[in-house]
Amino acid sequence: MTIISRTEPQPSAGVVEFIGSLRFRAGRFVLIGIPLVILVIWTTVPIVWAVLASLKEPLEIYQSNTLLPSNPSLDAYREVLSMPGFRGWLWNSVLVTVVATIVPLTISILAAYGFARYAFRFRHLLLLLYLVPRIIPRVSLIVPLNNLMTDLGLVNTYWVLFITYTASAIPLATWILVGFFGSIPKEIEESATIDGANMWNRLRRVMIPIAWPGVVTAGVLCIREAWNEFAFVLALVNETGMRTLPYQLYMLKDSMGVQDYAVYNAFTVLTVLPLLIVYLLLERRVVDSIVSGAVK
Amino acid sequence: MVPMSMIQDGAPPLTAAERFHDFLQRLVPYALVIPGLVFVLGVLGYAVAGGVVLSLNETDMFLNQTFVGLKNYIDIFKDPRFQSSLWKTIVFVVSSITLGIALSMMFALTLYHVGFGRRFFRGLSLVPYFVSGIATAVMFRFIFTTSGGFVNYVLGGLGLPTPSWLGDPVLAFIVAVLANCWFMVPFATLILLGGLQTIDRDIYDAATIDGASGAQTFRRITLPLIKPMMGVSLIWVSYISFSTFDIILALTAGGPLRATELVSVYMYQIAFLQLDFGQGSVLMVVLLTFNTVLSLVYLKIFVFGDRRYKAAR
Repeated sequence: MTIISRTEPQPSAGVVEFIGSLRFRAGRFVLIGIPLVILVIWTTVPIVWAVLASLKEPLEIYQSNTLLPSNPSLDAYREVLSMPGFRGWLWNSVLVTVVATIVPLTISILAAYGFARYAFRFRHLLLLLYLVPRIIPRVSLIVPLNNLMTDLGLVNTYWVLFITYTASAIPLATWILVGFFGSIPKEIEESATIDGANMWNRLRRVMIPIAWPGVVTAGVLCIREAWNEFAFVLALVNETGMRTLPYQLYMLKDSMGVQDYAVYNAFTVLTVLPLLIVYLLLERRVVDSIVSGAVK
Repeated sequence: MVPMSMIQDGAPPLTAAERFHDFLQRLVPYALVIPGLVFVLGVLGYAVAGGVVLSLNETDMFLNQTFVGLKNYIDIFKDPRFQSSLWKTIVFVVSSITLGIALSMMFALTLYHVGFGRRFFRGLSLVPYFVSGIATAVMFRFIFTTSGGFVNYVLGGLGLPTPSWLGDPVLAFIVAVLANCWFMVPFATLILLGGLQTIDRDIYDAATIDGASGAQTFRRITLPLIKPMMGVSLIWVSYISFSTFDIILALTAGGPLRATELVSVYMYQIAFLQLDFGQGSVLMVVLLTFNTVLSLVYLKIFVFGDRRYKAAR
């Protein structure tokens, strides 16, 4: 008995600390864990729900007591892929995105190099002209653009999308790249000049490789702009065959019966998926660029 | 003999060819910058200028224009449908900014403090940024569908009422704000996270030693130090909220009972369905003005008003 009473004294300092750290951990768990769960639910639920709905059977979507598809099937996807116009819309989206990424990226690399490496008259004014369009809501431009493009006879052509998408992608891409090029020490380029490299070679072999994360980020953001664009294509294109995927997704609302909700969701998933794959492949560089403040 | 002038200048006079080469060298930066400028000014600049011109003219159905001065402006500001859409836009923007910044701040702090899988959660948090506005709207429609929607599935499971979200004007407005936030919060989150990561941890240690509470530390240290990033996030969320168009059009099409008919949606209706380009352009000028003024205010307060920016000058 005496032995027990002796081993029962005040809790040692270690125990106090342990309990304290438990409380600290519990507090931390609540403070970080709950918001983290909210973050994950908030981010994934809309997408997961669309995927689940796309796998359900037509009438099952209506039943409010089912969460998971009872009999998952890919029929909806098969139906989307066999829509008469689907390949055309997909092709339109891919073509417009490729052109509206490569062209603005090339133009922006040149412009950003000019802004980052040369001192010249009106430099600030010209840089401002590149920046200001970033705060112009795109949708506000559709009325005058529609009139201009009608006058030029470009409505319902790929050109109208190439031109307007390129124009709206350039300011963002240039702004990102000026930052990346500007942060490269001049000495690196100077040593290349001494070695006899001209401007093209310096740009191609020194600047672009060093600023590659910036080029990738700018490229991904150009792809995003073009792939998801809606206001311009809605205002400047009205032939069914010229639609891009987001436009067609919007039109589905009117052209589909209620029983086709699985198809509707499958179409949504298919328009989102390609861009998400691009993002997942290059996620690290894009996230790093935004977090480091290079994209604003 | 060496001529005097050369000795004074310390360099031989340039030959015509060299002077030409020099001239070309000075043109290089302009040659680099101008192609992009042609696109920016030719398309975006033209559209802004053209819109202002259109707003001062009356365009008939044969696209003949007659100058009418401010008539379109006066007409539209008297239009009760416009007044109502302007109020809705202001409520929409203010509630989107409030909820959007609150969520972004919460998510940024979470991502900053999370101890495991940080890269994974950061990458996951940006996913909605890559979902188009139309797809966002469609997804939210199916989440909030009365029968078979996720939200009503959960509410029903908890024994709570399951309202018709998109059929009720107020609820539909709330869903529109939520969808808009879902779309714009990720980018703002990462911008704020970038701000948090620039803060030296020693400052927090010092604050803890001085006995500052978590809330005090956040208000007195974190917020002032991320002021510029807060400004950038605010510009982003208000830009997106003002120009929200695709989300509304695909989610509610302005309904029910015009409850979600924002200025951008009304502009599309007037210009493309009623074919009144003059009044449509007035709405464009309204949108542009609001957005520009708001952006400049943020820049003034958060970026140029920042002590570090002032110190750097």
